[in-house]
Amino acid sequence: MDNIIEVRHLSKSFGDNEILSDINFAVNRGEVVCIIGASGSGKSTLLRCINLLEKPSGGEILYHDNNVLDNKHDVYAYRTKLGMVFQQFNLFINHNVLSNCTIGQMKVLHRNKEEAEEVAMKYLRVVGMDQYINAKPRQLSGGMKQRVAIARALSMEPDVLLFDEPTSALDPEMVGEVLTVMKDLAKTGLTMLVVTHEMGFANEVADRVVFMDQGLIAEEGTPKEIFNNPKQERTREFLRRILRDAKPE
Amino acid sequence: MTWSSFIKIIVKYWPMFLRGAGVTLYIAIIGTIIGAIIGLIIGTIRTIPLPDNKAKRAILKVINTLLSMYVEVFRGTPMIVQAMVIYYGSLMLFNIDMNKMFAGIFIISINTGAYTAEIVRGGIISVDKGQFEASHAIGMNHIKTMLYVVLPQVVRNILPAMGNEFVINIKDSSVLNVISVTELFYQTSSVTGNVFRFFEPFLIASIIYLVMTLTVTRILRLIEKKMDGPENFNVIPGNQMQVARPEDMVKNSEQTRH
Ligand SMILES: Nc1ncnc2c1ncn2[C@@H]1O[C@H](COP(=O)(O)OP(=O)(O)OP(=O)(O)O)[C@@H](O)[C@H]1O
Ligand SMILES: [Mg+2]
Repeated sequence: MDNIIEVRHLSKSFGDNEILSDINFAVNRGEVVCIIGASGSGKSTLLRCINLLEKPSGGEILYHDNNVLDNKHDVYAYRTKLGMVFQQFNLFINHNVLSNCTIGQMKVLHRNKEEAEEVAMKYLRVVGMDQYINAKPRQLSGGMKQRVAIARALSMEPDVLLFDEPTSALDPEMVGEVLTVMKDLAKTGLTMLVVTHEMGFANEVADRVVFMDQGLIAEEGTPKEIFNNPKQERTREFLRRILRDAKPE
Repeated sequence: MTWSSFIKIIVKYWPMFLRGAGVTLYIAIIGTIIGAIIGLIIGTIRTIPLPDNKAKRAILKVINTLLSMYVEVFRGTPMIVQAMVIYYGSLMLFNIDMNKMFAGIFIISINTGAYTAEIVRGGIISVDKGQFEASHAIGMNHIKTMLYVVLPQVVRNILPAMGNEFVINIKDSSVLNVISVTELFYQTSSVTGNVFRFFEPFLIASIIYLVMTLTVTRILRLIEKKMDGPENFNVIPGNQMQVARPEDMVKNSEQTRH
């Protein structure tokens, strides 16, 4: 299959603390892969290693079969190929909505202003934020901020979009709007790697689900396999706990 | 003091006071701007993350040490002494006869730079880590991250501190009279030499200083307000949107769930 990113034997330690050990998996073109797992299991660290916000301690990350950990590899060019959506949105607070979506295009991809704005508007329409182009981030609700952050990432026209718990910092009534946008994107065939606690979303949208436990990939499979018929006891345990928490009654 | 001599001095010598005030303001403005630029550059360099490459790492460390020394030296010595050392030193050691105005601006700038470097460094450190990460994630390097995302936020945040520097420069440029820069203090001294009175000329000078510093403070407030932009934004009406409002989106997601 046409894999975009392949992670081989990836490990990451902070000091003596091994957070990730021997991670192997791949993301194929057009796939939606969801990463689930308990808090502290290393999901964010894995995502941050993939776009090199964290420096992996060992292993390989292949992007179209080139190891991006090679010293000669251009980190900045590689990062433009991966969009990142953060839990805390991280919109540029000194830029308005439109400018958040054009600054990277203009300063990194060297597109001219006109083209950049056209592309930005296209994706702001996709996320339903094209009416708010003049707003500053502080004037928006959490859900709106996250939709702009998605548009900002899309405006760079990346190969893959990485999401790190995009709805975890949102008030419950705003989770829906962001998940809807993400579902729509998944339908367009965008390649997505999503760390999430939204099991409903993973079940409905994911092609594959990766379950992480204590820095390891404990189990990987289709949503059906993972949610209906998990092989590992710790997967069952995790799902039981999370489903119980989701339905307190 | 007699009221009439106060008036007389103003009437007779106002051009000297005005010229002095002009020079003071000029030196303070240029010195603060150049000092701010020096501070921004140094603050940016001092916050470059240490590279992995050994040689680059060593170079950066040397540069950082030199910059720390610069900051320490200029913060740790009085400006009036620096003025003497720089002006007469360059004359004696290098045979450079500096233009007095240039020397004045140079001394103010380099002092402001030393103070601002620390203010900027604090400003950069206090910018949310997420802003750096988001910049890196869309492929910006350190310089682009600084130029387009971090420094604009830093500049906004340090504006009150820079206003303070500006006010200090208006006042402290008076020490430049020791190298005969014709700023307000120097001109006032000249007036006293002509009228053989001290109180009235310096009372006039202090009123002028006060007017300048108060005006500058007010103007900076306005600039701060302006930089923050309007409190409200305009929603641009249009109907080519897929999703109009958050409420609609929630409805949509409910429909898909059923
Ligand atoms: N910069 C760091 N320095 C030291 N330890 C870190 C650092 N970042 C993360 N860790 C540790 O790595 C472990 C995994 O963290 P990570 O954020 O990847 O977990 P996670 O699966 O994303 O959890 P959550 O669901 O809470 O977001 C945690 O124990 C955390 O304390
Ligand atoms: Mg996390």
